[in-house]
Amino acid sequence: MGALKLDINFINPFIEGVLTTLDTQCSVKAKTGKLFLRGNGTEITPAIAAMIGLTSPVFQGSIGLSFPESTFLKVMGGMLGEEYKEINKDLEDGAGELLNIIFGCAKRVLNDKNYNIDKAIPTIVRGSGLSVTYVGKTAAMILPFTSSVGDFQLEIMIVAH
Amino acid sequence: MFPPNTKVLIIDDMRTMRMIVKKTLVGAGFTNITEADDGATAWPLLEQALASGSPFDLILSDWNMPQLSGLELLRRVRTHVRLKNTPFLMITAETEKTQIMEAAKLGVSSYIPKPFTQQIVVEKLEAVYKKITAAKSAA
Repeated sequence: MGALKLDINFINPFIEGVLTTLDTQCSVKAKTGKLFLRGNGTEITPAIAAMIGLTSPVFQGSIGLSFPESTFLKVMGGMLGEEYKEINKDLEDGAGELLNIIFGCAKRVLNDKNYNIDKAIPTIVRGSGLSVTYVGKTAAMILPFTSSVGDFQLEIMIVAH
Repeated sequence: MFPPNTKVLIIDDMRTMRMIVKKTLVGAGFTNITEADDGATAWPLLEQALASGSPFDLILSDWNMPQLSGLELLRRVRTHVRLKNTPFLMITAETEKTQIMEAAKLGVSSYIPKPFTQQIVVEKLEAVYKKITAAKSAA
């Protein structure tokens, strides 16, 4: 296995998915920062992360969407129309649903370009200052976002078959 | 447009998504909303409502669900002699061409792609309602 060149055509649908989904479903305006390799930039301290596996005939990997607690509670408040003080089971499901929608947006665009990405189900990781470590030699690419409700980040890890 | 007292069934295995859809429908003026957490739970509700003489007027269903998917539920509804004309909309992130064609073949009334706004949902419902009204007038 080797690292797959992460070109902008692959990443853009995920960026568009994040921006569109947060705006449309959560009334949150976000902006992208500069992409960096894990270890070469400043990351947020996440309280919750939604992860989803990427499987296709040509590569495998994962994407993860991570939020600090205060940002996440506001994103969920926008999505569900209620004010939240703490992360509960419904909100954990909400994190999964959010990533599922983003994944669906990106998958549609990428599969139109013959990436043939399979369906996948998100998993949720919680904890104060959690750190996600990928097995393998390829480090995750981190795409930071700023938004009207705080910072968050998208993590992308792709390995070619 | 569908009247506010339209009897609506929302089906999704994710409670948060049911909350979002319900919030959207309530915001659009709907007052008679029931929820089911997958197709297998929804089917007896549809049959019971029919038997009680107060069938559901509108179904909004997720696509990917355990036990009985939205597509399978659509197939059952469209092959049921008394439920087959019930408006059935899919709310889904699965909007790839092959999947759209699959549901279209089974007679889905319309799609609401995720993410969605209240305006998108209202527009989709209005279009379905117009189609139904036109078909009834032509009959």
